[in-house]
Amino acid sequence: MRFGGLTALNKVTFSLPAGEIRAIIGPNGAGKSTFFNCVTGVLPPTGGRIVFSGEEITGLPPHRISKKAIARSYQITNILPGATVLENVRIAAQSRHHSWSLFRHHRAFGDLIDRARAVIQAVGLAGKEDELAANLSHGEQRHLEIGIALATEPKLLCLDEPTAGMSPAETQETMTLVRRIAKDLTILIVEHDMQVVMGLAQRITVLHYGEIIAEGPPAEIQRNPKVLEVYLKT
Amino acid sequence: MSAPRSSSGYWMGFAIVLALLAAAPLVLPEFWRRFVTEILIWGLLAMSSDILIGYTGMISFGHSAFFGLGMYGAAAALLTVRPPNLWLALLYGLIGAGVIAAFVAYFATRLRDIYFAITTLVFSQIFYVIIFTWTEVTGGENGLTFRQPPFSVPAVLSVPFTPVTLHWFVLAVVALSYLLLRRITQSPFGMVLQSIRENEPRTRAIGYHVERYKIVAVMLSGLFAGLAGVLYAVQNKFAAPDFVFFLISGEVVIFNVMGGMGTLVGPVAGAAFFLLLREVFSRFFTEYYLIPVGVIFTLMVVFMPQGLLGFLRRRLNQ
Repeated sequence: MRFGGLTALNKVTFSLPAGEIRAIIGPNGAGKSTFFNCVTGVLPPTGGRIVFSGEEITGLPPHRISKKAIARSYQITNILPGATVLENVRIAAQSRHHSWSLFRHHRAFGDLIDRARAVIQAVGLAGKEDELAANLSHGEQRHLEIGIALATEPKLLCLDEPTAGMSPAETQETMTLVRRIAKDLTILIVEHDMQVVMGLAQRITVLHYGEIIAEGPPAEIQRNPKVLEVYLKT
Repeated sequence: MSAPRSSSGYWMGFAIVLALLAAAPLVLPEFWRRFVTEILIWGLLAMSSDILIGYTGMISFGHSAFFGLGMYGAAAALLTVRPPNLWLALLYGLIGAGVIAAFVAYFATRLRDIYFAITTLVFSQIFYVIIFTWTEVTGGENGLTFRQPPFSVPAVLSVPFTPVTLHWFVLAVVALSYLLLRRITQSPFGMVLQSIRENEPRTRAIGYHVERYKIVAVMLSGLFAGLAGVLYAVQNKFAAPDFVFFLISGEVVIFNVMGGMGTLVGPVAGAAFFLLLREVFSRFFTEYYLIPVGVIFTLMVVFMPQGLLGFLRRRLNQ
């Protein structure tokens, strides 16, 4: 992936088995977000291929990627601030069913409401359904963020710094949440908080200046001299 | 969910307003009777653009084109088919507006924000110039005049409109359009439009092909604007290029801002308020009436940014 003269990602050969929790780490500017943006269709890669479940998805637009059961949450909270929690999640669930219905009230589709409520329950926001998303606390908004992604029924969930700006207690909650939803999902997680990374990931991929410099289980990565040099030491 | 609690109050309000509007022509003098009918027609035009401005977050400066095509479509039916038929005028007007709306939608929805607004403006001016200069077909600057069609039910009855029955007809069309538009804004499709307004990239990311929804929104909006154009043509028995000019589109945006975007009824109230102000001030200030109207509009934008009925927004959209 290039931006003009800058090569943000170079020869990143990466494969992720279904059901794994994989973390991507690397210093600022390593290309983590660019990698996410390529996978989720925000940026069409300038070279290379992306294959998901045996299907090539390289360069598909975001709405098509979403239909392939890949969902993401954002580093900077990205929700519908003027809508209720329920609507934020319901509209995401609706993208799979009934979205072109024009003449029935949206609340008439009970399946969507049920799905939304189940997701809200799963991300620990039960009881907050009717609150405006803008009025939630930062930690709750981050969970809503994950809820929106989950409601689209993904197989692969990409979490971009899910604990950014959280208190230690909130971070713990989020880790429990991720572990819980990981049972039926493949999860790709970009995170700066090493405790979170080491606590969650089964394997870790280390990016540095757009290239993969190491890959392996947490214990191995912690001992890898190259990784220590560029990243963990600082 | 709190819908049932507030919905009886809502329907009560709806019934009262409807009854007042239905009774209005029976008690008002001739001039004001016409005025109220016109308010309803401009209100429908404003309501149609609210689908874009208030619900999808796209500002159209091209609604005069849809309105005008509705007018000229109705004119085409009333001038070519004998005897003049109301329903055919409606059909031609809707086809005219619909075709133009599909054309504008296809190109304009590729752009966002100010670029979308400018594109709609440019398209409407193109149609204005075509209508203004194509004298053989459109009557050019003078427009077209025709006879008012009678109200008819095929094979059952055909009675000429009186000012009162015309008012009721317009009221019925506007009220039904309102109910239909309200239902559409509350449908799953309508919720997608509001999601686009709130956060377009996120709406894309959860799997919506945003452009397609925008195209349908523009077409729907254009159809209802065309319907308003048909009503205006039937009421006034003429079609004129002035109504395709972008000044009309600007007024429609003002109706929305004054009345309260994203409420459907707000823009109708905005149209009523604006037209009333214009009427009153033009009596005192003659051609300078825009100065006080402009001052009031500016004050409203500063002190009442939600518009006259904006405070009802949440309740109206339940």
